[in-house]
Amino acid sequence: MIAKKWLLAGTMASLLLSCAAPAPVNAEAVPYESYNYNYWEEAVPAPAAYIPDRTLTGKDLGVGDFLDPADMVVADSGLIYIVDSGNARIICLDSGWKVDKVITGFDNGGKAETFKNPSGLYVNDEGNLFVADTDNGRIVVLSPDGELLRLIEQPESDILPADFKFIPVKVTVDQAERVYVIAKGIFEGIMQFDENGVFIGYVGTNKVKRDYTEYIWRMFSTKAQKAQMALFVPTEFSNIDVDEKGFLYATNIDPGSKEPVKRLNPSGEDVLKRFGYFDVLGDIRYRISVGPSKFTDIKVLPDGMYSALDANQGKVFTYNDEGDLLYVYGGKGNQTGTFKTPAAIEYASGNQLVLDRGKGNIVVFKPTRFGSIVNEAVGYHYNGEDVQAVPVWREVLKLNANYDIAYIGIGKSLLMEKNNKEAMKYFKLGMDRDGYSVAFKRYRREVMQEHFGTFLTSVMLLVAVWVAYRIFGFWRRKRQSRASSQAPHNLKEGNAHEAGFH
Amino acid sequence: MRQDFIKFPLHLIVHPFDSFWDMKYEGKGKLRVTLTILLLVVISMILKNQFAGFLVNYNDPRHLNSITQLITVIFPFFLWCLSNWAITTLMDGEGKFKEIMMATGYALVPIVIIYTPMVVASRFMAEEETAFYYLMMSVASIWFIALLFVGIMTVHQYTVLKTVVTMLLTIVVMGIVVFLGTLVLSMIQQITEFFINIYRELIFRT
Repeated sequence: MIAKKWLLAGTMASLLLSCAAPAPVNAEAVPYESYNYNYWEEAVPAPAAYIPDRTLTGKDLGVGDFLDPADMVVADSGLIYIVDSGNARIICLDSGWKVDKVITGFDNGGKAETFKNPSGLYVNDEGNLFVADTDNGRIVVLSPDGELLRLIEQPESDILPADFKFIPVKVTVDQAERVYVIAKGIFEGIMQFDENGVFIGYVGTNKVKRDYTEYIWRMFSTKAQKAQMALFVPTEFSNIDVDEKGFLYATNIDPGSKEPVKRLNPSGEDVLKRFGYFDVLGDIRYRISVGPSKFTDIKVLPDGMYSALDANQGKVFTYNDEGDLLYVYGGKGNQTGTFKTPAAIEYASGNQLVLDRGKGNIVVFKPTRFGSIVNEAVGYHYNGEDVQAVPVWREVLKLNANYDIAYIGIGKSLLMEKNNKEAMKYFKLGMDRDGYSVAFKRYRREVMQEHFGTFLTSVMLLVAVWVAYRIFGFWRRKRQSRASSQAPHNLKEGNAHEAGFH
Repeated sequence: MRQDFIKFPLHLIVHPFDSFWDMKYEGKGKLRVTLTILLLVVISMILKNQFAGFLVNYNDPRHLNSITQLITVIFPFFLWCLSNWAITTLMDGEGKFKEIMMATGYALVPIVIIYTPMVVASRFMAEEETAFYYLMMSVASIWFIALLFVGIMTVHQYTVLKTVVTMLLTIVVMGIVVFLGTLVLSMIQQITEFFINIYRELIFRT
């Protein structure tokens, strides 16, 4: 009895203890919600792809607080450049986050000059710095050592108005040493300069969208009223980046635009692939009070992926080269990993860095297991190694069974292997109708080829049976008619017989 | 049985002028056939939404509901008949309510006989061939509207122009009926709430 009581007490205690034990600490707890959109445009929770690793302020680096830092660039050499606009300096860090040098000015033919509110930077393959020295109205090109190479100042051209003032904000350089500049008050597109700093023209104009209600409203307005109305001008670009093929990735902040991200080819046409379920525009569903995504920066990642930084909600949207949304992370707030006014996004050896203008710090995000295997699988796909991607996608599905892109990826690989029936299943799970159609057509042909003999035999058999039936019917009718025509004859004969007997 | 349910509807959809005449003056066509056709339309709609091939079926399977589909067919049907009856009474239409119902019901036959086979066919279609599916769906709708037009014209003994005007007016009346219906419902709701509140007050005060 006592033993029983003790046993009972023991079980109770263990039960209590197991309940009282703290919930397992989630090692990857993040201060933001991770999600992805499914085919039905619902935000479905997903594992976090990136988690905040550390935060760095100017004080941490030993150079004093940043004041309104506007841009950040990671060079091919691994050096990290931060444009500290408010302090008019450029801070160069090595890959171990040690301050390499601080550039506050340059020597212009014996005259020491400084920057004035620089807000854009680009570092080319040779390590030359292109600084958009905004309030001085010029682009300063410096060598890696900080020596002045040349200046791009107020451009002169027939197509520019007489009172034009050059206020560069962002700058990018492609492989052919052409300089692309986003300037304030320029609605015609991105300004393009040749390698000598001569203005060539504009690329990639944003189209004006007609608002018909506005249009009708205008018809009933007087001239004075019209003068007070908002002008129909295209929106400005907000940022640019260039990929290794020399294509420009540009973002604009037009709130109603369906195409806030553009990929411009050298002749200025938008060639971004938008094969995903929905447009490349950040959040599909958002609160009216918050508004749609407003991209302030874009970074081209390896393997055709690109990350766009949404300043409105402090989120980072990463897409693959086909325009599928891969993952979303970040948010607004005061915790580590959330932002106040995110200004720039960069990529350094697998990590993503986000520069927060409002907080004056840099947040380093490192990929989780989910994030890194998604990147890996996307990389395999991009390089055409679909077969290698399959086990990785299966691993992704173990972590997130709602990840449609993984289903489509496996489907594509199965299609390559001519396993059409399985491919159909996976395309259906991923709601990819085009892929499904291709797989289905092949599968249908397969089945037809396999069963065509049987099919034809049965058709022949049916025809034969039908013909036999018809012949039989014909024969029977003939016999019947003969029989009926014979019957009276017999009768007659019988009568005759009878007559004969009589 | 076979005459009523199979032969006459199938004859009607290819010879609408004769058949609607027969329906009105020779007493062909039956109300129970109309109701059967209506049921078949509901069934073919459900089959289409549920079982059409993946390439043509854009419905979210989580939100499919047969009861909703039943209502979305039955309710507009009766609304149409009622509105048409109301408007044609004022516009010297000769048709009785029963005749309007029968004409509308029989006009739905093409939808039944096209939808169901197309649902089966759509399961064997690749993406390029789905155009054929959509073509046949449009054919079904156009055929239905044409039959409805002839039916209304014959039943009421109208001219072409008057039929068109009546049909458009019927749609307007349908809107008005829906508006009045919601108005009445909302008012009834408010009145009941008012009386419930009075009752509550009395209960709590005494």
